Amino acid sequence: MDKCIACGTCAEKCPRKVTDEYNAGLGKRKAAYVKFPQAVPLKYVIDKDHCIYFEKGKCRACEKFCPTQAVNFDDQDREFTLEVGSVILAPGFEPFDPGVYDTYSYSHPNVITSMEFERILSSSGPFEGHLVRPSDHQEPKKIAWLQCVGSRDIHHCDNGYCSGVCCMYAIKEAAIAKEHAGADLNTAIFFMDMRTPGKDFDKYYERAKAEKGVRFIRSRVHSIEPLPGTDDLAIQYVTEDGRITEEVFNLVVLSVGLQISKDTLELAEKLGVEIGDGRFAATSPFQPVQTSRTGIYVCGVFQSPKDIPLSVMEASAAAAESATLLAPARNSLTRKPPELSEKDVAAQEPRVGVFVCHCGVNIAGVVDVEAVADYAETLPGVAYVERNLFTCAQDTQDKMKQIIEEHNLNRIVVAACSPRTHEALFQETLKQAGLNKYLFEMANIRNQGSWVHMNEPEAATEKAKDLVRMAVAKVALQQPLGEMQLGVTKSALVVGGGIAGMTAALTLADQGYPVTLVERKDVLGGHGRKLYSTWDGQPVAPFLDELIKRVEAHPEITVLTKARITDVQGFVGNFHTVLDVDGQRREVDHGVAVIAVGAHSLKPDEYGYGKSDRIFLNLDLDQAIGERDERIVTARSAVFIQCVGSREPDRPYCSRVCCSHSIENALRLKKLNPDMDVYVLYRDIRTFGLRENLYKEARARGVLFIRFDLENKPVVQVASDGTLKVTVKDHVLQRPVVLTPDILTLAGAIVMRESEADELAKMFKVPVNAEGFFLEAHAKLRPVDFATDGVFVAGLAHYPKPTEECIAQAKAAASRAATVLAKDSITAGGVVAVVNKDLCCGCQGCVQCCPFGAIDYLEREGKCEVNQALCKGCGTCAATCPSEAITLLGFSHLQLYAQIDEALSA
Amino acid sequence: MQNPFEPKILAFLCNWCSYAGADLAGVSRLQYPPNIRVVRVMCSGTVSPHHVIHAFQRGADGVLVAGCHIGDCHYLKGNYMTLKRMKFVQELIRFAGYNPERFRLEWISSAEGVKFAEVVRDFTEKVRSLGPAPSFEASPRLAMGL
Amino acid sequence: MVNATRTASSNPIGSVLVVGGGIAGVQAALDLADTGYFVHLIEKTSAIGGAMSMLDKTFPTDDCAM
Ligand code: FES
Repeated sequence: MDKCIACGTCAEKCPRKVTDEYNAGLGKRKAAYVKFPQAVPLKYVIDKDHCIYFEKGKCRACEKFCPTQAVNFDDQDREFTLEVGSVILAPGFEPFDPGVYDTYSYSHPNVITSMEFERILSSSGPFEGHLVRPSDHQEPKKIAWLQCVGSRDIHHCDNGYCSGVCCMYAIKEAAIAKEHAGADLNTAIFFMDMRTPGKDFDKYYERAKAEKGVRFIRSRVHSIEPLPGTDDLAIQYVTEDGRITEEVFNLVVLSVGLQISKDTLELAEKLGVEIGDGRFAATSPFQPVQTSRTGIYVCGVFQSPKDIPLSVMEASAAAAESATLLAPARNSLTRKPPELSEKDVAAQEPRVGVFVCHCGVNIAGVVDVEAVADYAETLPGVAYVERNLFTCAQDTQDKMKQIIEEHNLNRIVVAACSPRTHEALFQETLKQAGLNKYLFEMANIRNQGSWVHMNEPEAATEKAKDLVRMAVAKVALQQPLGEMQLGVTKSALVVGGGIAGMTAALTLADQGYPVTLVERKDVLGGHGRKLYSTWDGQPVAPFLDELIKRVEAHPEITVLTKARITDVQGFVGNFHTVLDVDGQRREVDHGVAVIAVGAHSLKPDEYGYGKSDRIFLNLDLDQAIGERDERIVTARSAVFIQCVGSREPDRPYCSRVCCSHSIENALRLKKLNPDMDVYVLYRDIRTFGLRENLYKEARARGVLFIRFDLENKPVVQVASDGTLKVTVKDHVLQRPVVLTPDILTLAGAIVMRESEADELAKMFKVPVNAEGFFLEAHAKLRPVDFATDGVFVAGLAHYPKPTEECIAQAKAAASRAATVLAKDSITAGGVVAVVNKDLCCGCQGCVQCCPFGAIDYLEREGKCEVNQALCKGCGTCAATCPSEAITLLGFSHLQLYAQIDEALSA
Repeated sequence: MQNPFEPKILAFLCNWCSYAGADLAGVSRLQYPPNIRVVRVMCSGTVSPHHVIHAFQRGADGVLVAGCHIGDCHYLKGNYMTLKRMKFVQELIRFAGYNPERFRLEWISSAEGVKFAEVVRDFTEKVRSLGPAPSFEASPRLAMGL
Repeated sequence: MVNATRTASSNPIGSVLVVGGGIAGVQAALDLADTGYFVHLIEKTSAIGGAMSMLDKTFPTDDCAM
C-alpha cells in the first residue's frame, strides 16, 4: 500500500469489469480499482471476489504493469487486537432495497432508487452528470419520485419509522434535475406528508414549488406498471378527493428509506449493545449518544434516522462523551512530533533545486523529462536539477534531504503531480532538511500535463517547461513564513443557562476545563422549565433538577445569574468579556465561547388566543394535564391547531417539535378519557424518525386528523358564553366541518427575539439568519461551529429542536470547544495576509470583505490590521485592496505577477 | 508556411475546487488542448482585476478564472467577491474595446473533471476563433486608463 | 434499559475505537484526535467518506457533497 502511487495503471490494465457499488450499481469498475477518484486513502485495491487471478489462478496483469511493484497477491487478512478506552459506533445505514414492493416494478431499468439517481446527477457518476435514463440513455421529459418507500410501512417491510431525510432529498433531486435538464422537465413528487422540519428546509420546499415548478402530489402510489411497447412507466394513484388517476413518466425514482444492516445488528450483538425500536441502537433522549453499554457510544443513523448535520453533531457529542470518560488519560497515547530546527536563509540569494519526476511512465511516457530537466538548468536561480523515477518515493526523500544540505539549496521545486496530494509530503522533507516548508513549489506536469495531453508529447513538454519556469520564478520570490504560537486561556464561557447551556458547561467542566455559565434570568433551566416530558414520555423535571444540581455543585463551573454580556474583545484562545451581573461589572478571560441563549415560544395573535381560558398553548396544556385541571378533566372534546405562526409567509420555517408535542398531548388526553373526541388540524404531520410511532398510536386510539391549507386556515370563534367553535374545510369531504371543542390547543411557533440575538451576534462577530437564529459555519459539516473560530452554538438559538437534539448539540459544541482548549497554543501565521501600513489608506474595504472578521481598523492610526490568529489565508482582502497594500504570504502580488509574466513569456 | 495560431490562455484556479477539478480531469485522462497555463490561487477571491488585466497586458489571448460553486467556497464567501469583481473586469474589458469573450469566469467543483476539460476545450476554441489578442497599446482606452 | 451510569476508571486508556468511516465516524475521530486521544478509525471499504461521498449535492444549500 505504501508503494501505490495511485497512477491507475492497474485499473487500466485489469481485464475484469465489475458492477460499481459506488455508482449504486449503475456503472462498471475494474477488479483492480479505487473506490472513487477523490478517495482517502488514494490507493488502488484488488477486489478479491472478482479478480481473475483469484478465480482462475492466472492473469496478474496489474502486477506486471505496476510501475512501483505495489501489487502483492500474497497479502492476507490480518487480525489486530486493540486496547481502547471507549468505542464509538458510526456504522451508518443501508438504503432500503425496494425489490420487496411487488407492484413497483423495480426490476425495470427505468425504476431506480434515489441513491442511483444521485449517481446519475453526479458529474463523476456513470453518465458524467448527463441526466439520462438507464434503459436507452435518452433524456427523460417526465420524472416521478415516490416517497416513503421502505419507510412508514409495516406491510412490505418492518420499517414503521420515518427515515426523516427522503422528503428533502427528493425535493433536492427534483430541483437539481431541473437545473440539469432545464425548466421544461416535468417533475412530480408523490408523498403522504411533506416532512421538511429542518433549518431552511421549508424555504427550500416552497422555492421548489413556486420557483422551480416541482409538482407535489399528495397520494400514496399504488402501482408502477411498464407501458408496453415503450420504456415508460404508468403510475396509478388515488387523489386526495378519491379519484383514481394514471400518469405516464419516463423515469421513476423510489425515495428509499434508511435502515440498519444485518452486519451492524450482528456487531451490536457481539458488543452487547441493546437494540431498540426500528432496529436502531437503544438510547434515551437525555443521553442521546450513550448505548446500553458503558463506554460505547453511538452516532449517525444507527442512533436513529437522520440527516448529515445531525449525524455530525452526534459524532462530536460521542467524541465529547469519550473525552469525558477518558479525561484522566488525555494526551497519554498521542504522539508529539519532534522539534526541528530551521536554517535562516532569508538573506541568501535563491539557490533553487528542481526535481523532475518521471512517475514511472506516467509523465515520462508523454513528456520529454530530460528536455525539461535540461531546460530547468538554464533558469535563473536554479542551482541543481535532477530527475527521479519516483520523486515521492521514500528513498528519494532521503536523497533529497542530502542534496539540499550538500548543495546548500534554499528553494525547492518538484515537477511532478499535484500539490493537493503531495505538497505536504515534500514540505515534510524540507523541514527535515532544515528548510522552511514554504520555500517550496510544485509544477503539476502530470495531472495537468502528461495525463491530459497524451497525444501531444511536444506540446506537453513545452507546457511542462513553462510550468517549471513559473514555479521557479515564484519560489525565488518566496520568503520563509513564520508561524507563531499564541497562548490559550483554558476556560470557557457559556452563554445561556438552559438545558443546552448547562449540558455544554458540564461536558467541558467534566473534562477539567473551568467554565463561566452566564444566565440572563435569576434561575437556571431556561425553556426546559416549561417542558413536561420528552416525546417518548420521559418526565423532564427530574432530569432538569439533577442537571441544575450538578451544575451548581460543580467545582469547575461558576454560575452567574442575572448576567448580561456588554462587551467581547479578543479572538480564539484569548477572549476577554465584560459582563453586567445584577448591576455589577465583571470581566472574564476565556479561550472559547458557546452561545446557547435559547429561544421563546410565540404568543399567537390569532385563533382567539387570550380570549378564552379554554384556549391553550401546548406548554400550558402540559401543565394543565399534569395538574388534572378542571377544564381538562371535564372536557369531552379537544382540538389542536398546528403550525400556529410557523410556515407562514413572514415566518417561513417549521418549528420542528409541535407535531410530536400535540400528538403526545392528544394521546395523554385520550388516555385520561378514552371517550374524548380529539381532533388535530394539521398541514403536514411531521413526526420524523421514531416519532412516527406516536402518530400511528394516535390514529389507532381514534385521534382524528383533519388537514388544512395555508389558504384555508381554520376559523375559531369564541362566543360570549365562552363556548368555542372551530370551522375547518375537510379535504376528503371537500366541505367545511364545524367542531365545538371544550378545549383548544394551539401549537405555537418557537421564535427568536431578534434584538437580543443581534446584540450578542455583533459582539461575538457571528451571523444570524433572517429569522434571528444563529447561523453556523456550514449547514452540513460544521453545524455547531461559527466561521469565527472559538465560538460555538447549541440549542434553540440555532433552530427549534427537541430536547435530545439540544443535548447532542450542546455536547457537540463542547467537543468542538475542547479541540481549542486541549491545545497549549494555537498556531497562527503561515499563509496569511499582512498589511503594509505604509501603503494602507484606511479605506476598510478589506474589513468589509473578510469572511472571518479577521481584519480590524485601528482608529488611532487610521490603518487596517490583520489578526493572524483569525486569518484563514483566502486572500480576498489582498485582491480588494486598491493600493495592493495587503499581501497574502505565499501568494503575493509580486509572485502572481511573476507567474503571469513567465506563463506568457514563451 | 506560417504556424497556425495557438492562443495563450492563462487560468487562475482556486485550490479547493477548480484546481482539484483540473486534477480530476487528469486522473480521468480527459484530453484537452495544451494552450492553458494554470496559476494556482488559494481562493478565486485571491484574484484581483489587476491580475487579469496584467495577463492581458502581457499578451494573454484569453483569461479564465475558476472557483468553487457559489456557496461552496472553502472560505465561505470568497467567491461572492470574485463574482462582483469579475463582473467589473468584464465591464472594464468591454469598455476598453476588448472582446469580453476573451475573459471567462466559471464555477468548477472538485468533482467536475469533465466540466473542467469541457470548459478548457470550449474556451480554447473560442479564443482561437477570435485570433490573437490585439496588443494592449492598440487599445488606447486600456493603455491609458490602466 | 438504557441508563448506563458512568463508571469512571481512574486510569483509563487514552485511545478510542471509531467504527465506520462515514461522515459521523470521521467527525468523531477528528474531534478526539484534536482533543488529545489516539484514534483507531476502522472502515470496511477501501476509502472513507461513506454514503455522503456518493451524493451529488446536499440540501438545503445545494453544496457539493465531495
Ligand atoms: S476556495 Fe474556491 S472559490 Fe473560494
